[in-house]
Amino acid sequence: MKRAAILFSLLFAFVMAANAQGIEVGAKMDSFSLPDMSGKIRSLDDLKGKNGAVVMFVSSQCPVVKAYNERMNQIVADYAAKGITFIGINSNVGEIDKMAAKPVDWVKTHITETYKFPVLFDKSNVLADKLGANITPEAYFIDANNVLLYHGAIDNDRSGSNITEAYLRTAFDSSLAGKKIERTKANAFGCTIKRAGQ
Amino acid sequence: MATLLKFLAEAAMCAVFALLFSTSGFTQAVRKGKTPVNKGSAVGPKVTKINSDGLKALLKPNGKPLLINFWATWCDPCRQEFPELVRLDAAYRGKIDFITISLDDLAEINTSVPKFLGEMKAEMPAYLLKTADESAAITMVSKDWAGNLPLTILFNSAGEPAYSRNGLIKYAAITAEIDKLLTAPTANILPSN
Repeated sequence: MKRAAILFSLLFAFVMAANAQGIEVGAKMDSFSLPDMSGKIRSLDDLKGKNGAVVMFVSSQCPVVKAYNERMNQIVADYAAKGITFIGINSNVGEIDKMAAKPVDWVKTHITETYKFPVLFDKSNVLADKLGANITPEAYFIDANNVLLYHGAIDNDRSGSNITEAYLRTAFDSSLAGKKIERTKANAFGCTIKRAGQ
Repeated sequence: MATLLKFLAEAAMCAVFALLFSTSGFTQAVRKGKTPVNKGSAVGPKVTKINSDGLKALLKPNGKPLLINFWATWCDPCRQEFPELVRLDAAYRGKIDFITISLDDLAEINTSVPKFLGEMKAEMPAYLLKTADESAAITMVSKDWAGNLPLTILFNSAGEPAYSRNGLIKYAAITAEIDKLLTAPTANILPSN
Protein backbone atom coordinates (compact mmCIF):
# COMPACT_ATOMS: atom_id res chain seq x y z
CA MET A 1 0.00 0.00 0.00
CA LYS A 2 2.91 2.27 0.74
CA ARG A 3 4.08 1.64 -2.81
CA ALA A 4 0.65 2.65 -4.12
CA ALA A 5 0.84 5.90 -2.15
CA ILE A 6 4.25 6.64 -3.65
CA LEU A 7 2.89 5.91 -7.12
CA PHE A 8 -0.01 8.29 -6.51
CA SER A 9 2.46 10.96 -5.43
CA LEU A 10 4.60 10.45 -8.50
CA LEU A 11 1.54 10.55 -10.76
CA PHE A 12 0.35 13.71 -9.03
CA ALA A 13 3.75 15.35 -9.47
CA PHE A 14 3.78 14.28 -13.12
CA VAL A 15 0.31 15.70 -13.82
CA MET A 16 1.11 18.99 -12.08
CA ALA A 17 4.48 19.17 -13.80
CA ALA A 18 2.81 18.59 -17.15
CA ASN A 19 0.63 21.63 -16.47
CA ALA A 20 3.58 23.61 -15.23
CA GLN A 21 6.02 22.83 -18.04
CA GLY A 22 7.78 25.86 -19.38
CA ILE A 23 10.88 27.88 -18.86
CA GLU A 24 12.68 28.41 -15.62
CA VAL A 25 14.20 31.63 -14.34
CA GLY A 26 17.67 31.98 -15.91
CA ALA A 27 16.66 30.28 -19.16
CA LYS A 28 16.36 32.10 -22.45
CA MET A 29 12.90 32.72 -23.90
CA ASP A 30 12.59 31.93 -27.59
CA SER A 31 11.30 34.73 -29.74
CA PHE A 32 7.70 34.46 -30.91
CA SER A 33 5.33 36.14 -33.33
CA LEU A 34 1.58 36.45 -32.82
CA PRO A 35 -1.22 38.57 -34.29
CA ASP A 36 -2.48 41.67 -32.50
CA MET A 37 -6.10 42.79 -32.50
CA SER A 38 -5.87 44.17 -36.01
CA GLY A 39 -4.41 40.91 -37.29
CA LYS A 40 -0.94 42.39 -37.70
CA ILE A 41 1.84 39.97 -36.76
CA ARG A 42 4.03 41.34 -33.97
CA SER A 43 7.17 39.73 -32.64
CA LEU A 44 8.88 39.72 -29.27
CA ASP A 45 11.97 41.24 -30.86
CA ASP A 46 9.95 44.13 -32.29
CA LEU A 47 8.13 44.89 -29.04
CA LYS A 48 10.91 44.37 -26.53
CA GLY A 49 12.41 47.44 -24.85
CA LYS A 50 16.13 48.16 -24.64
CA ASN A 51 16.16 46.84 -21.05
CA GLY A 52 13.74 44.01 -21.51
CA ALA A 53 10.04 43.22 -21.58
CA VAL A 54 7.22 41.64 -19.64
CA VAL A 55 5.22 38.96 -21.36
CA MET A 56 1.97 39.30 -19.44
CA PHE A 57 -0.83 36.73 -19.75
CA VAL A 58 -4.15 38.54 -19.47
CA SER A 59 -7.85 37.91 -19.86
CA SER A 60 -10.62 40.30 -20.79
CA GLN A 61 -13.05 38.46 -18.49
CA CYS A 62 -11.03 37.45 -15.43
CA PRO A 63 -11.99 39.71 -12.49
CA VAL A 64 -8.49 39.42 -11.04
CA VAL A 65 -6.96 40.76 -14.26
CA LYS A 66 -9.55 43.54 -14.33
CA ALA A 67 -8.50 44.49 -10.81
CA TYR A 68 -4.93 44.80 -12.07
CA ASN A 69 -5.62 46.68 -15.34
CA GLU A 70 -5.02 50.12 -13.88
CA ARG A 71 -1.94 48.94 -11.97
CA MET A 72 -0.49 47.33 -15.09
CA ASN A 73 -1.02 50.51 -17.09
CA GLN A 74 0.66 52.51 -14.35
CA ILE A 75 3.67 50.19 -14.36
CA VAL A 76 3.85 50.52 -18.15
CA ALA A 77 3.82 54.31 -17.80
CA ASP A 78 6.46 54.27 -15.05
CA TYR A 79 8.92 51.99 -16.85
CA ALA A 80 8.48 52.76 -20.56
CA ALA A 81 11.08 55.52 -20.41
CA LYS A 82 13.39 53.12 -18.58
CA GLY A 83 13.32 50.72 -21.49
CA ILE A 84 11.02 47.98 -20.19
CA THR A 85 7.90 47.28 -22.23
CA PHE A 86 4.76 45.16 -21.72
CA ILE A 87 3.45 42.60 -24.19
CA GLY A 88 -0.01 41.30 -23.31
CA ILE A 89 -0.94 37.77 -24.36
CA ASN A 90 -4.48 36.43 -24.41
CA SER A 91 -4.45 32.63 -24.63
CA ASN A 92 -8.05 32.08 -23.48
CA VAL A 93 -9.69 30.21 -26.32
CA GLY A 94 -13.26 31.29 -25.56
CA GLU A 95 -12.35 34.95 -25.33
CA ILE A 96 -10.42 34.94 -28.59
CA ASP A 97 -13.36 33.36 -30.41
CA LYS A 98 -15.78 35.86 -28.89
CA MET A 99 -13.57 38.80 -29.80
CA ALA A 100 -13.17 37.55 -33.34
CA ALA A 101 -16.95 37.75 -33.73
CA LYS A 102 -17.20 41.26 -32.26
CA PRO A 103 -17.30 44.46 -34.30
CA VAL A 104 -14.13 46.51 -34.49
CA ASP A 105 -15.64 49.22 -32.24
CA TRP A 106 -16.27 46.70 -29.44
CA VAL A 107 -12.69 45.47 -29.56
CA LYS A 108 -11.44 49.05 -29.56
CA THR A 109 -13.50 49.93 -26.49
CA HIS A 110 -12.86 46.76 -24.49
CA ILE A 111 -9.28 45.95 -25.36
CA THR A 112 -7.39 48.71 -27.13
CA GLU A 113 -8.49 51.40 -24.73
CA THR A 114 -8.18 49.19 -21.66
CA TYR A 115 -4.53 48.30 -22.04
CA LYS A 116 -1.78 50.82 -22.64
CA PHE A 117 0.29 48.07 -24.22
CA PRO A 118 -0.17 45.71 -27.19
CA VAL A 119 -2.17 42.53 -26.62
CA LEU A 120 -1.46 39.57 -28.89
CA PHE A 121 -3.72 36.58 -29.49
CA ASP A 122 -2.32 33.13 -28.77
CA LYS A 123 -5.22 31.27 -30.32
CA SER A 124 -3.94 27.71 -29.99
CA ASN A 125 -2.16 28.28 -26.65
CA VAL A 126 1.15 27.63 -28.35
CA LEU A 127 2.97 30.32 -26.39
CA ALA A 128 1.15 29.53 -23.13
CA ASP A 129 2.13 25.87 -23.51
CA LYS A 130 5.72 26.72 -24.36
CA LEU A 131 6.14 29.01 -21.36
CA GLY A 132 4.01 26.87 -19.04
CA ALA A 133 1.59 29.72 -18.35
CA ASN A 134 -1.53 28.60 -16.49
CA ILE A 135 -2.94 31.65 -14.80
CA THR A 136 -4.02 35.23 -15.43
CA PRO A 137 -2.46 37.58 -14.62
CA GLU A 138 0.96 35.93 -14.95
CA ALA A 139 4.15 37.84 -15.74
CA TYR A 140 7.37 36.71 -17.40
CA PHE A 141 10.02 39.43 -17.13
CA ILE A 142 12.96 38.99 -19.50
CA ASP A 143 16.06 41.10 -19.98
CA ALA A 144 17.35 42.50 -23.25
CA ASN A 145 18.85 39.11 -24.08
CA ASN A 146 15.54 37.32 -23.50
CA VAL A 147 16.77 35.70 -20.28
CA LEU A 148 13.93 35.14 -17.81
CA LEU A 149 14.57 37.17 -14.66
CA TYR A 150 11.23 36.94 -12.84
CA HIS A 151 8.08 34.83 -13.19
CA GLY A 152 4.78 35.15 -11.41
CA ALA A 153 2.49 37.64 -9.75
CA ILE A 154 2.52 41.43 -10.10
CA ASP A 155 2.24 42.03 -6.37
CA ASN A 156 0.82 40.40 -3.25
CA ASP A 157 -2.60 42.03 -3.05
CA ARG A 158 -5.33 41.56 -5.63
CA SER A 159 -7.39 44.43 -4.27
CA GLY A 160 -4.45 46.83 -4.49
CA SER A 161 -5.33 48.36 -1.13
CA ASN A 162 -2.67 46.64 0.95
CA ILE A 163 0.33 45.87 -1.25
CA THR A 164 3.36 44.99 0.84
CA GLU A 165 5.35 43.21 -1.88
CA ALA A 166 5.46 44.78 -5.36
CA TYR A 167 7.20 41.78 -6.90
CA LEU A 168 7.34 43.00 -10.50
CA ARG A 169 8.40 46.58 -9.77
CA THR A 170 11.05 45.31 -7.36
CA ALA A 171 12.40 42.98 -10.05
CA PHE A 172 12.48 45.86 -12.56
CA ASP A 173 14.30 48.15 -10.12
CA SER A 174 16.88 45.51 -9.21
CA SER A 175 17.50 44.67 -12.86
CA LEU A 176 17.83 48.32 -13.87
CA ALA A 177 20.24 48.92 -11.00
CA GLY A 178 22.30 45.91 -12.00
CA LYS A 179 21.52 44.17 -8.73
CA LYS A 180 20.53 40.58 -8.07
CA ILE A 181 16.76 40.03 -8.07
CA GLU A 182 16.05 38.57 -4.64
CA ARG A 183 12.62 37.12 -5.37
CA THR A 184 12.54 35.56 -8.83
CA LYS A 185 9.24 33.73 -8.47
CA ALA A 186 6.00 34.40 -6.61
CA ASN A 187 2.56 32.92 -7.05
CA ALA A 188 -0.85 34.40 -6.38
CA PHE A 189 -4.41 33.24 -6.86
CA GLY A 190 -5.99 34.02 -10.22
CA CYS A 191 -7.98 32.65 -13.14
CA THR A 192 -7.11 29.53 -15.12
CA ILE A 193 -6.15 30.06 -18.76
CA LYS A 194 -8.83 28.36 -20.82
CA ARG A 195 -7.01 26.23 -23.34
CA ALA A 196 -8.33 24.78 -26.59
CA GLY A 197 -9.94 21.39 -26.07
CA GLN A 198 -10.54 21.81 -22.34
CA MET B 1 -17.66 30.62 47.97
CA ALA B 2 -20.76 30.19 45.81
CA THR B 3 -19.90 33.40 43.96
CA LEU B 4 -16.37 32.14 43.32
CA LEU B 5 -17.67 28.82 41.98
CA LYS B 6 -20.12 30.65 39.70
CA PHE B 7 -17.30 32.88 38.43
CA LEU B 8 -15.08 29.86 37.72
CA ALA B 9 -17.88 28.06 35.89
CA GLU B 10 -18.56 31.10 33.70
CA ALA B 11 -14.85 31.50 32.98
CA ALA B 12 -14.60 27.84 31.97
CA MET B 13 -17.58 28.20 29.61
CA CYS B 14 -16.01 31.28 28.03
CA ALA B 15 -12.74 29.42 27.53
CA VAL B 16 -14.49 26.50 25.83
CA PHE B 17 -16.44 28.90 23.61
CA ALA B 18 -13.27 30.81 22.68
CA LEU B 19 -11.43 27.57 21.89
CA LEU B 20 -14.20 26.31 19.65
CA PHE B 21 -14.47 29.46 17.63
CA SER B 22 -10.85 30.53 17.40
CA THR B 23 -9.35 29.71 13.97
CA SER B 24 -7.31 26.71 15.06
CA GLY B 25 -9.82 25.48 17.59
CA PHE B 26 -12.67 25.55 15.10
CA THR B 27 -10.45 23.96 12.47
CA GLN B 28 -9.77 21.02 14.73
CA ALA B 29 -13.39 20.83 15.85
CA VAL B 30 -14.75 20.48 12.33
CA ARG B 31 -12.14 17.96 11.22
CA LYS B 32 -12.50 15.52 14.11
CA GLY B 33 -15.15 12.91 14.63
CA LYS B 34 -18.18 12.80 12.37
CA THR B 35 -18.07 14.94 9.25
CA PRO B 36 -20.02 18.04 10.27
CA VAL B 37 -22.88 19.50 8.33
CA ASN B 38 -22.45 23.22 7.86
CA LYS B 39 -25.92 24.70 8.34
CA GLY B 40 -24.75 28.24 9.14
CA SER B 41 -27.16 31.15 9.40
CA ALA B 42 -29.92 32.78 7.39
CA VAL B 43 -27.33 34.28 4.99
CA GLY B 44 -25.80 30.89 4.30
CA PRO B 45 -23.34 28.36 5.70
CA LYS B 46 -20.75 29.53 8.22
CA VAL B 47 -17.47 30.51 6.56
CA THR B 48 -14.44 30.43 8.84
CA LYS B 49 -11.44 32.67 8.24
CA ILE B 50 -8.10 30.87 8.20
CA ASN B 51 -4.54 32.05 7.78
CA SER B 52 -1.48 30.04 6.66
CA ASP B 53 -1.35 28.24 10.01
CA GLY B 54 -5.00 27.30 9.67
CA LEU B 55 -4.36 25.96 6.17
CA LYS B 56 -1.43 23.93 7.45
CA ALA B 57 -3.64 22.44 10.18
CA LEU B 58 -6.31 21.54 7.64
CA LEU B 59 -3.75 19.75 5.46
CA LYS B 60 -2.68 17.46 8.29
CA PRO B 61 -3.78 13.82 7.97
CA ASN B 62 -6.95 13.11 9.88
CA GLY B 63 -7.50 9.39 9.35
CA LYS B 64 -9.69 9.77 6.27
CA PRO B 65 -9.15 10.83 2.68
CA LEU B 66 -9.35 14.62 2.44
CA LEU B 67 -10.82 16.46 -0.53
CA ILE B 68 -10.28 20.22 -0.80
CA ASN B 69 -11.79 22.55 -3.35
CA PHE B 70 -10.12 25.96 -3.72
CA TRP B 71 -12.53 28.44 -5.26
CA ALA B 72 -13.80 32.02 -5.33
CA THR B 73 -17.07 33.71 -6.21
CA TRP B 74 -15.20 35.73 -8.87
CA CYS B 75 -14.14 32.53 -10.64
CA ASP B 76 -16.63 31.44 -13.32
CA PRO B 77 -15.63 27.76 -13.55
CA CYS B 78 -15.59 27.58 -9.74
CA ARG B 79 -19.23 28.62 -9.60
CA GLN B 80 -20.09 26.42 -12.55
CA GLU B 81 -18.77 23.23 -10.94
CA PHE B 82 -20.25 23.81 -7.48
CA PRO B 83 -23.42 21.71 -8.01
CA GLU B 84 -21.13 18.78 -8.79
CA LEU B 85 -19.18 19.41 -5.60
CA VAL B 86 -22.39 19.41 -3.59
CA ARG B 87 -23.32 16.13 -5.26
CA LEU B 88 -19.93 14.71 -4.31
CA ASP B 89 -20.38 15.81 -0.72
CA ALA B 90 -23.75 14.09 -0.49
CA ALA B 91 -22.34 10.89 -2.00
CA TYR B 92 -19.29 10.66 0.26
CA ARG B 93 -20.31 12.39 3.49
CA GLY B 94 -18.89 10.50 6.44
CA LYS B 95 -16.53 8.52 4.24
CA ILE B 96 -14.13 11.34 3.44
CA ASP B 97 -13.46 14.82 4.79
CA PHE B 98 -14.51 17.40 2.20
CA ILE B 99 -13.91 21.09 2.74
CA THR B 100 -13.98 24.18 0.56
CA ILE B 101 -11.54 27.07 0.81
CA SER B 102 -12.53 30.39 -0.71
CA LEU B 103 -9.99 32.91 -1.96
CA ASP B 104 -12.45 35.77 -1.95
CA ASP B 105 -11.69 39.03 -0.22
CA LEU B 106 -12.17 38.96 3.53
CA ALA B 107 -14.94 41.54 3.14
CA GLU B 108 -17.03 38.83 1.46
CA ILE B 109 -16.86 36.35 4.34
CA ASN B 110 -20.28 37.21 5.71
CA THR B 111 -21.91 38.27 2.45
CA SER B 112 -21.37 36.91 -1.06
CA VAL B 113 -19.45 33.77 -0.03
CA PRO B 114 -22.08 32.31 2.38
CA LYS B 115 -24.83 33.60 0.10
CA PHE B 116 -23.46 31.63 -2.85
CA LEU B 117 -22.88 28.54 -0.69
CA GLY B 118 -26.46 28.84 0.56
CA GLU B 119 -27.80 29.08 -2.97
CA MET B 120 -25.82 25.95 -3.82
CA LYS B 121 -27.15 24.20 -0.68
CA ALA B 122 -23.52 23.44 0.17
CA GLU B 123 -23.11 21.88 3.61
CA MET B 124 -19.41 21.05 3.67
CA PRO B 125 -17.17 22.96 6.11
CA ALA B 126 -16.30 26.24 4.42
CA TYR B 127 -13.22 28.39 4.95
CA LEU B 128 -11.83 31.61 3.56
CA LEU B 129 -8.06 31.91 3.34
CA LYS B 130 -6.53 35.29 4.07
CA THR B 131 -2.76 35.51 4.08
CA ALA B 132 -0.21 38.17 3.21
CA ASP B 133 1.90 35.54 1.46
CA GLU B 134 -0.34 33.72 -0.99
CA SER B 135 2.72 32.32 -2.72
CA ALA B 136 3.72 30.39 0.40
CA ALA B 137 0.16 29.12 0.89
CA ILE B 138 -0.01 27.93 -2.72
CA THR B 139 3.31 26.10 -2.38
CA MET B 140 2.11 24.53 0.87
CA VAL B 141 -0.72 22.88 -1.06
CA SER B 142 1.49 21.87 -4.00
CA LYS B 143 4.83 23.19 -5.15
CA ASP B 144 3.68 22.75 -8.73
CA TRP B 145 0.45 24.74 -8.39
CA ALA B 146 0.51 28.26 -9.88
CA GLY B 147 -2.54 29.38 -7.87
CA ASN B 148 -5.09 29.22 -10.69
CA LEU B 149 -8.63 28.40 -9.67
CA PRO B 150 -10.43 26.14 -9.28
CA LEU B 151 -8.22 23.45 -7.80
CA THR B 152 -9.74 20.28 -6.41
CA ILE B 153 -7.19 18.13 -4.67
CA LEU B 154 -7.55 14.75 -2.99
CA PHE B 155 -5.20 13.53 -0.27
CA ASN B 156 -5.07 9.99 1.06
CA SER B 157 -5.45 9.30 4.76
CA ALA B 158 -1.69 9.72 5.21
CA GLY B 159 -1.89 13.23 3.81
CA GLU B 160 -0.27 12.41 0.50
CA PRO B 161 -1.72 13.88 -2.71
CA ALA B 162 -3.62 11.22 -4.64
CA TYR B 163 -5.36 13.24 -7.37
CA SER B 164 -5.84 16.81 -8.42
CA ARG B 165 -7.83 18.69 -11.02
CA ASN B 166 -7.03 22.26 -12.01
CA GLY B 167 -10.16 23.44 -13.80
CA LEU B 168 -13.69 22.06 -13.96
CA ILE B 169 -13.91 18.73 -12.16
CA LYS B 170 -14.84 15.56 -13.99
CA TYR B 171 -17.25 13.81 -11.64
CA ALA B 172 -16.59 10.26 -12.85
CA ALA B 173 -12.83 10.73 -12.66
CA ILE B 174 -12.82 12.12 -9.15
CA THR B 175 -15.26 9.55 -7.77
CA ALA B 176 -13.10 6.78 -9.25
CA GLU B 177 -10.09 8.18 -7.40
CA ILE B 178 -12.01 8.51 -4.13
CA ASP B 179 -13.36 4.97 -4.48
CA LYS B 180 -9.82 3.70 -5.03
CA LEU B 181 -8.72 5.26 -1.75
CA LEU B 182 -11.75 3.98 0.11
CA THR B 183 -11.39 0.40 -1.09
CA ALA B 184 -7.62 0.23 -0.60
CA PRO B 185 -6.43 -1.26 2.69
CA THR B 186 -5.19 1.58 4.84
CA ALA B 187 -3.24 -0.35 7.47
CA ASN B 188 0.10 0.39 5.87
CA ILE B 189 -0.52 4.06 5.25
CA LEU B 190 1.11 5.92 8.06
CA PRO B 191 0.72 9.65 8.46
CA SER B 192 3.86 11.46 7.36
CA ASN B 193 5.00 13.99 9.93
